Amino acid sequence: MVIDNRSPLPDVVTAGAGAGVSQGPRPGAGEVLRIDDLHVTVHDGAATAVRGISLRVQAGEIVGLVGESGSGKTLTCRAALGVLPPGCAIEQGTVSFAGHDVTALSQRDWERVHGSHMGAVFQDPASYLNPTITVGHQLTEVLRVKRRLARRAARRRATELFGAVGLREPERVFHQIPAELSGGMLQRVMIAIAVSCDPQLLVADEPTTALDVTIQAEVIELLRQLRDQRGMAVLFVSHDLALITELCDRVVVFYAGEVVESGPAAEITERPRHPYTQALLRVASVGDFGRRELEVIAGQPPQVGANIAGCRFAERCPVAVPACRTGSIPSVAVGDEHDVRCLRAEDARNVDQLVAR
Amino acid sequence: MPTLASTPPLLAVESVDVVLGRGWRARKVLSHVDLQIWPGEIVGLVGETGSGKTTLARTVVGLVNPRRGRVVFDGLPISALRRRARRAARRRGHVQLVFQDPLRSLDPDLTVADIVGEGLRIRGERDREELRGRVLDALEKVGLDATVLARTPGQISGGQRQRVSIARALAVGPRLLICDEPVSALDASSRNYVLRLLDELRNSLGLPIVIISHDLSSLAGIADRVVVLYGGRIVEDGPVGRVFAAPRHPYTALLMASAPSVRHDQPFSLHQLRRSDADPAPPDGPDACVFAARCPFTADACAQQPPLAAVEGRWSVACHRREEWMALAQDRNR
Repeated sequence: MVIDNRSPLPDVVTAGAGAGVSQGPRPGAGEVLRIDDLHVTVHDGAATAVRGISLRVQAGEIVGLVGESGSGKTLTCRAALGVLPPGCAIEQGTVSFAGHDVTALSQRDWERVHGSHMGAVFQDPASYLNPTITVGHQLTEVLRVKRRLARRAARRRATELFGAVGLREPERVFHQIPAELSGGMLQRVMIAIAVSCDPQLLVADEPTTALDVTIQAEVIELLRQLRDQRGMAVLFVSHDLALITELCDRVVVFYAGEVVESGPAAEITERPRHPYTQALLRVASVGDFGRRELEVIAGQPPQVGANIAGCRFAERCPVAVPACRTGSIPSVAVGDEHDVRCLRAEDARNVDQLVAR
Repeated sequence: MPTLASTPPLLAVESVDVVLGRGWRARKVLSHVDLQIWPGEIVGLVGETGSGKTTLARTVVGLVNPRRGRVVFDGLPISALRRRARRAARRRGHVQLVFQDPLRSLDPDLTVADIVGEGLRIRGERDREELRGRVLDALEKVGLDATVLARTPGQISGGQRQRVSIARALAVGPRLLICDEPVSALDASSRNYVLRLLDELRNSLGLPIVIISHDLSSLAGIADRVVVLYGGRIVEDGPVGRVFAAPRHPYTALLMASAPSVRHDQPFSLHQLRRSDADPAPPDGPDACVFAARCPFTADACAQQPPLAAVEGRWSVACHRREEWMALAQDRNR
């Protein structure tokens, strides 16, 4: 099933940017999301949890954000979606969506972007759906409000969408309430709602964490398929590097509010250059089903918002040198689209070799 | 390390059926479950939501009564105990359960000291010094110290919370520990930390541990035996190394192929193990194999549920096609 006729960007976004771009981006071309030097404060400005994140997402690309809990990946996503939790604010930096600055959009303007241009799915689908209303109704509501479809057309489109996200018997699911559906089915419903107005960008924040592995594999396949069919870009967040590398084209590694490494997924798994990425790879489920010593990353990440001179990973780093603890560490290119924020990245192709054995 | 077969099992679940709900709501959650746990072994219990893993754990600790069959712990048929005897057995705390989400299973208003000491107080420990000593001792076993005593679950990290709930279980000196999804809410590094901790507890205390998990790869790192549950039945039960090297039940293979992996060297792809629309309709009916509806390798025999039968030694599988399906899977498109 193919859903076409994308609506152009709403006037408000175009007017807000003032760039005179009147047509929406074509699928498969151009930059969908661009974040520059983003700083996000939490606790009403008491601490800076996201410190200078920059990232880009091209149309049709799946970009994965990976890092421990508290590393700022979810806050970055929420800033991009314009739905920061209370007490959090963008302190510095810009978020551009399809070439338009959306950093300071009003609530009203965001409402026109949400759904139509950006969709989102989160970890716990049940808490984002109304438990008392049929899921079919919840999807048609979106279509009627955002797409101005008539009742009957909305209903037809809704059943099509339920079928497209792999729900068997979409007609039956249409009339069910969330409690009657399993976690995997609910996540499919959420994805159907998120992509119902054909957004250019889907933000998926830990969408499979609560699901069984077999269902997780199916949802991952569905996301890939939606990207292939619709040229939709996906920003995928997970703490599981194995999952990220399976799905994503490009991987961005977060540590304590900074991007420490980014690059093509194959590059990251085969030639990780940052000691933290290497540590993440060692603790990830690499697909090894043998008996082995399970590795851990020694130490704790710094407190959210802690001011640390030099590299934020230096405390836990096996190869840190005194220079790592002074000044700011620049992000340098070490390969094609492969950037690393580490003083020692150039010294060794593989930091493992630096560690005394 | 366990010496199997020669010693009697510490725990024996004998052809247990469990029905939850009454009347038209009644649903058979476990069918004909046979499970033995020997001292000193780590057993991984895997299966999807609704497969009966948690119900099995609750049956073992006596929170659920089996409709048929019995649960025997160290010679004592605990499923047959009633009222006072049942309560006394529970208070001895020989079998301890560690719950999935410590943020929800630990009382948010209690301090760590209260949570860890609660089981001891219920058992009648009144001496404050003694209590504090036992609590600190339990915390030390999980790598925590007195600094967390006065904190509430909301004030410590996710990994620490799970360690507190393990300490709570250890405080009463259990002889069997059952952990229900102890690591599914944790990130990779904390997950490995907790699993290593369980491995160390098994080694230092000789404590047998059942770990319910759906992360097969990290389970493989520490478990001795794996038990796969599907639709309320055990479909495969065997030594971890053997089962994960060449699973004999197609569902075990599907679970392994579904696990995310940095490498891509699985023997079978997901497509080879999933039913497609081209496959002939599976046999259905009340007696059909529980996995038939999702199995691409069904034959006429699958209209009858296969019993759990020994493949070799202590490795058993419930599948009519256990010798044939691998070759059939190879022939399917990757």
